[in-house]
Amino acid sequence: MDHSKEPTLTLLASTEFQPEKYVKHLSQNYVGGSELQAIRKKIQALSEDTNNNLKKNVYQNYGQFIDTAKEISHLESEMYQLSHLLSEQKSLLNSLASTSLMGDNSNLTRNKERSEEKIIEEQKQKTQSILEKVEGCKDVLDIPGRTFLHEGDLLELDSLENKPIKPVHVYLFNDGFMITSRNSNSRGLMKYKFEVMYELGSLAVVNVRDLGDVKHAFKLLIFPETRIFQCSSNSNKKDWLDKFDQAKKNQLSQDVQRRESIIERSPSRTTIESGIHSTLSESEDDLVIITHPEWFLDLPEELDVGVAQRHFEEAITLLQKGKDYMSQLGLPNAKTDHVLIDIQRKLDMRQSSLTEVLMKELEINPDKSLQGGLRAARRAVRLLNQLGRSTQSCDLFLKLCSSMLKIQCKRVKREGSTSTYIRHLSSVVFTNMCHMTDEFLRAFPESSVCASAYIVWASSELSSFSAHFIKQVFVPQTSLATITECVFLVKTQCERLCNYGIDLCYQLDGALLTPLTKALTDTRDKLIDSVKVRALEDKWIPTNFHTKNGLSRCLNEHREMGLQLDSYVTGDIWLQLTQNTIAFTKVFLALLECCLRLKTTELLYTVDTVLYEIYGAQLKHYELTLKKDLQKEERQFIIKNTEFLLVTLYNLIQRKYTKSNGFECKTFAKVQIDYAALMKICLGNRNIKTKYSSEFL
Amino acid sequence: MAKKPAVQTALHKVIMVGSGGVGKSALTLQFMYDEFVENYEPTKADSYRKKVLLDGEDVQIDILDTAGQEDYAAIRDNYFRSGEGFLCIFSITEDESFQATQEFREQILRVKNDENIPFLLVGNKSDLQDKRKVTFQEASDRANKWGVPYVETSAKTREHVDKVFYDLMREIRARKMEENKTNNGRGKDKNKKKKLKCVIL
Ligand SMILES: Nc1nc2c(ncn2[C@@H]2O[C@H](COP(=O)(O)OP(=O)(O)OP(=O)(O)O)[C@@H](O)[C@H]2O)c(=O)[nH]1
Ligand SMILES: [Mg+2]
Repeated sequence: MDHSKEPTLTLLASTEFQPEKYVKHLSQNYVGGSELQAIRKKIQALSEDTNNNLKKNVYQNYGQFIDTAKEISHLESEMYQLSHLLSEQKSLLNSLASTSLMGDNSNLTRNKERSEEKIIEEQKQKTQSILEKVEGCKDVLDIPGRTFLHEGDLLELDSLENKPIKPVHVYLFNDGFMITSRNSNSRGLMKYKFEVMYELGSLAVVNVRDLGDVKHAFKLLIFPETRIFQCSSNSNKKDWLDKFDQAKKNQLSQDVQRRESIIERSPSRTTIESGIHSTLSESEDDLVIITHPEWFLDLPEELDVGVAQRHFEEAITLLQKGKDYMSQLGLPNAKTDHVLIDIQRKLDMRQSSLTEVLMKELEINPDKSLQGGLRAARRAVRLLNQLGRSTQSCDLFLKLCSSMLKIQCKRVKREGSTSTYIRHLSSVVFTNMCHMTDEFLRAFPESSVCASAYIVWASSELSSFSAHFIKQVFVPQTSLATITECVFLVKTQCERLCNYGIDLCYQLDGALLTPLTKALTDTRDKLIDSVKVRALEDKWIPTNFHTKNGLSRCLNEHREMGLQLDSYVTGDIWLQLTQNTIAFTKVFLALLECCLRLKTTELLYTVDTVLYEIYGAQLKHYELTLKKDLQKEERQFIIKNTEFLLVTLYNLIQRKYTKSNGFECKTFAKVQIDYAALMKICLGNRNIKTKYSSEFL
Repeated sequence: MAKKPAVQTALHKVIMVGSGGVGKSALTLQFMYDEFVENYEPTKADSYRKKVLLDGEDVQIDILDTAGQEDYAAIRDNYFRSGEGFLCIFSITEDESFQATQEFREQILRVKNDENIPFLLVGNKSDLQDKRKVTFQEASDRANKWGVPYVETSAKTREHVDKVFYDLMREIRARKMEENKTNNGRGKDKNKKKKLKCVIL
């Protein structure tokens, strides 16, 4: 029972837990302070645990909170992209709407684009119903592409006296105006009798402003006839005038006069005489007409639909088909056939708008998602190439690449060390460039114009990259080692492009030549300064490593650098080289390392002189010291150091240099000539030393 | 088309041509209703009819006021065919409109196929002398070259408005009488071309 009352988390956390009752219970069951104190401790421990848990929970939740916040910001950016896509879509639609407005200024055509099929269906029904109502109009209506626009009852007036002649029922089509009159011997449904069909192109519509007492009238000038019709109201008349106007304008731009005969798709053209109303049309071109297949006449609209639905491939196929058809027809027709000329003009327009849309696809938008990257651009590029716009598409493609590159670079944060940043950045730049090259070669194979554009692009990208690189890396606080590291990284990356046959390394070298030269000479100045400082502080004593370990560590270090210093060891912890010598050796070998990694043919001269000058500065110090009055022992010691520099280290340097370049460094060799006197002393000393050392051994 | 000339008053069909905004409608409205319209509303194609007394004879004038706007240029032919006489208007304040008269003239001659079609060159807006861009000399030189009269009008002040319409109607009437004579009363438009050739010859 008591056990169950031991303070545990479950107990304290249970909903039935009542503190007062519990305390009462405890004080009843436990006797003595110690027991109670133990309980108290337990409870306190529990409370601490809980506290800790609470903290942990808070942290955990906080972590989750941060993650969620990140997620939300991701979502937000995606929403932005989405909204951008939507607005793009919207503007696309708008531009399409305005294109078609410019194109043919008619709602009809626009509607057609939207729900062409539905309209075709309606047209069929309409035609059917007209056929049922009007006697003798079968031949007239049976014309492909003829679409119905408007109908109504009018009162025909005498053109001279303005007296009513007869009521008529009239139909306006996209290409003609049909007059029918009451069918007196009406059989069944045939309410009207066909009277005449006028070509829209051969009639002129005139608003009658003043005709005696007659109101709401309009005239048709059908040379040499003039027919006047009276409408039931002014708005009715306005309707008719608008409809005529629209049809006229529509026809003007389209000039789609789908006339009397049907032609097969083949280039062998059939010419059929207009069977309808040669009585009235006197203009020559109305009599004999070459008609084009319907698909050809519909082409401009089909293209609009295609572009609107973003079926670009189909649109291009259609366009090509149309062009093929036109070229089959040959030139003579192209000059005289208005329909052809008109369609040609329209196709040109569609082509340019298609091109525009496609170019838009490739255009760079600051907040457009580049997620799909170049892959997403493939389609537009391919299609533009098909349209013969490879120059433009190439241009846009490369612009796209540039901006992608820029964005990618911006994502690389300037954090960590310079070399970390450069490693990351150059990898991003060149990986992308490789990828872009891949895409480019895929998109524009075998086009020398584009290829050269690409090279120009790549080279300019490299220039801007190297400019950025120089700005980032070549700052006074960067050490030569870091610079070397960075340059090396970039060069390695740049070589990746060689796999694609694009060698930009020379350009990179060129860009880096000046800053590298400056970096080298700066380093030289710095090192010579420190040589001087060390010379002033030089105490000319062997180096004490204090412990055996310290000494052996130093020996190991030098062994790794290629120097065997064991012969300079005396005792357990002494090295017969000054701290100055050791320090210089280290610095100089590091410098040499950098120089050899950096060297290019152009840079070699600088490298050589820098090495030579620094080395000379150090030797000068030894020479000056040896000129002083010295005790023999001290002298020996200094000579030993000099010899180390002038022979041992020198040889190592030349070995390394030769290994890297294939020849010795002539400039550097001058140090032995400049300090020939020292050499002599050293060589003399060597003999003694060998004696000594053999004694030691 | 005077099918029944004895009973019917003669109908003379006049067409107003010229660039947009030169005052074709303004002249027509001034002639028709003695009013001047200040605001500009481009015309598509309006027709007017009026009974007038021409040298003591009752006649009807049918005026077709056409669109000067370029976008209607392509469908002008159909209008021009129906005209018996033309008032070719430009604005003396706008050289471009004067230059355009050349084109109108050519189009009319082409469509009507008749060198002697009744035709007046009209320089409108003569009330705006201070804004004149086309000199009287220039315009009358061109008219002389074409062998047509040149008149300057103002739709605003009504100066010479009646004159241009009446002068044109007289020419039309003269042409018709000539045609009737030579053609034995068959004044149908359809035969015009053939007969005209005779006249020219
Ligand atoms: N001052 C002045 N203004 C005129 C005259 N004639 C016309 N206008 C003005 O010029 C403008 C155009 O006149 P309209 O008669 O409408 O021109 P239009 O030739 O019919 O033009 P379209 O119908 O487009 O071919 C109007 O604002 C008129 O008020 C004139 O003689 N003098
Ligand atoms: Mg007007």
